Amino acid sequence: MNIAVAVKVVPDDQDITVAPDRSLDSSKAHQIASEYDLNAIEAAAQLAEAEGARLVAISASNAKAGDMKVRKSILSRGPEELLMIADDAYAFADSRTTAKALAKLVGDVEGGVDLVVCGDGSADMYAGQVNVQLASVLGVPCINSVTAMRMENGALVVERTLDDVVEEIEVALPAVVGVSPDIALPRIAGMREILAAGKKPATVNDAAAAGVDTNGTVEIDSVVAPELADRKREIFDTKNDGDLDAFIDAVAGVIR
Amino acid sequence: MDFSLTDEQQLLVESLQEYAERYFDDQSVMDMYEAHQVPAEAQDAYRDAGFPFMGLPEEVGGIPTDHVTLGLMTEKLYEFTGAMTPFMTGMLACADLAEFGTPEQAAVIMEEYEKSGQSVAALCLSEPAAGSDNMGMTCVTKKQADGSFILSGQKTWVTNGADVPYLIVIAKDEDASRDNTKMSLWLVKRETPGISTAHLTKIGQHTVPFVEVYFDDVVVTEDQRIGEAGAGWLLLMKNFEFERCLVVAQGLGLAQAAQNDAVKYAKERIAFNKPIITNPRVQDLIEENEIILQQTRHWLYYCLWKLDQGESINADIAMLKSWGTRAHVQLADNAIEIFGGLGYTEEVRVGRIWRDLRGNMLAGGTCEVMDYIAGRAIPKWYAD
Repeated sequence: MNIAVAVKVVPDDQDITVAPDRSLDSSKAHQIASEYDLNAIEAAAQLAEAEGARLVAISASNAKAGDMKVRKSILSRGPEELLMIADDAYAFADSRTTAKALAKLVGDVEGGVDLVVCGDGSADMYAGQVNVQLASVLGVPCINSVTAMRMENGALVVERTLDDVVEEIEVALPAVVGVSPDIALPRIAGMREILAAGKKPATVNDAAAAGVDTNGTVEIDSVVAPELADRKREIFDTKNDGDLDAFIDAVAGVIR
Repeated sequence: MDFSLTDEQQLLVESLQEYAERYFDDQSVMDMYEAHQVPAEAQDAYRDAGFPFMGLPEEVGGIPTDHVTLGLMTEKLYEFTGAMTPFMTGMLACADLAEFGTPEQAAVIMEEYEKSGQSVAALCLSEPAAGSDNMGMTCVTKKQADGSFILSGQKTWVTNGADVPYLIVIAKDEDASRDNTKMSLWLVKRETPGISTAHLTKIGQHTVPFVEVYFDDVVVTEDQRIGEAGAGWLLLMKNFEFERCLVVAQGLGLAQAAQNDAVKYAKERIAFNKPIITNPRVQDLIEENEIILQQTRHWLYYCLWKLDQGESINADIAMLKSWGTRAHVQLADNAIEIFGGLGYTEEVRVGRIWRDLRGNMLAGGTCEVMDYIAGRAIPKWYAD
């Protein structure tokens, strides 16, 4: 059995600065694996370990994502191999374009892929659409909001946690699943795994070399930070009659 | 000269940060100081990440690495947790066992770590009347007619001593008198009949339990002797230099945590209508702290690098430990000053760090003993 886990590499949001014109500058940011994709890697790694399956990480991310440290960081958390397209076309690509690139990488996995595991959403755009788009490109079923998964008689059994109900679904493979962050707590990469990561195979190409089409279906006009609101410096004191009601009205006014 | 970290070192630092964030939030750390221990869950997670195996040889299941990386691991663990932990003392005891013990003796390291993340062994060295004055030691083993030995005496300031499955004990061979220079190291199970411990309450470092250990006619056998008979002190001395490096690395990490807190507070705290960090006197304190941090950090990594080159750092680390551990206490004192009255409460952690750092002036030899070591060595560096 082969499992692929999709990982987006994003600039660390702690290092992103906002310019006076509200544009975002991530040029000095370190590249990291997107936060909730770490939970997806962990869930996929646990399933792979339980089933004796081979786990491959796939990624379509920005041009700096091929950095050796990022590769080792991903490979120190369970996957045996990394296939990556590192190209700035994927920094803010729409979900469909990213899904097409990931589908290409799924096709590149030796022996084919039985299951693709995706995180809940990427730390930068958080569209949460790549899992369904990828399933559609691959022509396989997709289940999202997955909070547990196991193999039973050759089929994948997942728990899907919705607002009012937990569904248990059996799905024939191949399939794509989108997992919720609480499916698994990411492991802390140990030094043994970190040292071993440098010896695992990693294939990193730009879009042209990978032979993928980067023409998007969505055009991005601009990406800007929200306008900063000035502090109002209003003080409410419950000792004053009516202040509590005024406070509630003020909060309600903003929310409405 | 290259001051940059390798990818692997950076990833190690990131793993330490993830570990600290997960198990050492403010409330958990306060609970640890209250309970006088690090909970099993945090110790097991430390083991699971492989941190205790760093620096141990491959043959015993370790992850060989250089002294610089071990120093970095120590500094960052202490900075990220802001707390004393038993791990480094545990690592040093395992290093002695792996280096000087037989394969059978060294095998207990992995056997015990299979069971839990708790440290495997504690080193019993100091006595009420002997520490740096090792010849004053009175713990002694006496050979019996059946070939076994009777160990008797008292050890004190034994870090982790009540919480470990094994003790590494140094005792004089046959004769406890001052002029007997023959001492041996022994690997003894904590649960052996005749061994008892009594808790000592420290003024800081509460997360690292500290005990007196009494040996009342404890029977040990030849296969428990670590290394050559009579050579125990010489063996232990081999790792004193590195131990002192780790004491400084711990202090450096805690000092950095205090500085992180102090600078953050100085930026937030408004007095006279502006943040106190704009006050030149506060800036002086912050600058003095930064000088101490940079000075001890560069000096420490120079010592560790020199160790990795196979050179002696006997006097270098003695000077650094004497000056650096004192400077770190001053740094924490400055941090308390920046917090003002709040710094003298238990609402913030700089006071706790100040108490913890005071202990590092004593751990691994007092500042005065360090000065004595360096004071004798330095004149030899200058040709007549």
